[in-house]
Amino acid sequence: MENLEIEGTHKNFFIPEVSFNAKTGICEISGESFLEDTIDFYSILIDWLDQYINVVKRPIAFIIKLSYFNTSTSRSILDIMNILKDYEDDGGEVVVNWHFDENDVDMEEDIDDFIIDTGIEINKISF
Amino acid sequence: MNVAENAYQVYTELIDSTIISYNGPFDAQVLSIIAENIEYSLSDNPRVSKKLFKIFIELAQNISYYSAEKQENSEGILFGVGIIMLREFENHYSFSTGNLIERKQVLPVLQKCETINLLDREKLRQYKRKLRNMPSGEPGSGNIGLIQVALTADYPLEYSVIPVNDDNSFYIINIRVNKN
Repeated sequence: MENLEIEGTHKNFFIPEVSFNAKTGICEISGESFLEDTIDFYSILIDWLDQYINVVKRPIAFIIKLSYFNTSTSRSILDIMNILKDYEDDGGEVVVNWHFDENDVDMEEDIDDFIIDTGIEINKISF
Repeated sequence: MNVAENAYQVYTELIDSTIISYNGPFDAQVLSIIAENIEYSLSDNPRVSKKLFKIFIELAQNISYYSAEKQENSEGILFGVGIIMLREFENHYSFSTGNLIERKQVLPVLQKCETINLLDREKLRQYKRKLRNMPSGEPGSGNIGLIQVALTADYPLEYSVIPVNDDNSFYIINIRVNKN
């Protein structure tokens, strides 16, 4: 299975940096997310995760370092958290680490909302 | 004070307090230029700058998608038209937007604003999670942008709707963000 690499940009729209590694299971998304077509973009990430979960079947370390995302993006993040939670419930090994600026209380609240919504354990790592 | 002096006072007050003002179509390029201006103008207060940036993106996207008045951009794509103003006061910043909405949208828009203002922070987060969990496009799922705006500002929404003609009304929303 191939790795998924997407270069982040900060132009008219903000494309997050994506680095999903099929060998190590380390999947990182960072930067900012404000996209022209949010569902299109995140369906690529979701398809990759589905394939990894069904074919590779190894542990996943999901690392989020997003400093900004709009509300459309938050729906797609919710979809990803639900996929990871389902994988964990089916016996998959999943760790989610979310890095955020300690001054950004809104971000911490957002992370808590994903925990409440999906029941997934998210390690909140402030910097 | 005569009318001219009064108008001049209004003018100078607006000039003194206004950081950003824009009237026109809200396409991607406009959004990006204004977003950059917000970050630049408030670079000495990153916390507030980030809040205003988040609020701006959601309000601007609402205008872009839902304004009843549309205009083509240079590439021939239709975008919603509206007005936006960011102003600075002694203890707070104020973001105001205005755009036309269809008459049949008036009641849903007012109900949405009222609902948001009736809920405390915890209830508002619950409401956001409930709507976010509904498949988008489903009736009632609506958009959660305005809820996010209220959560980010941590202030009630100030809003009003003014009838313009038989088809349209003008929808104004004002958001305060404290400096500290």
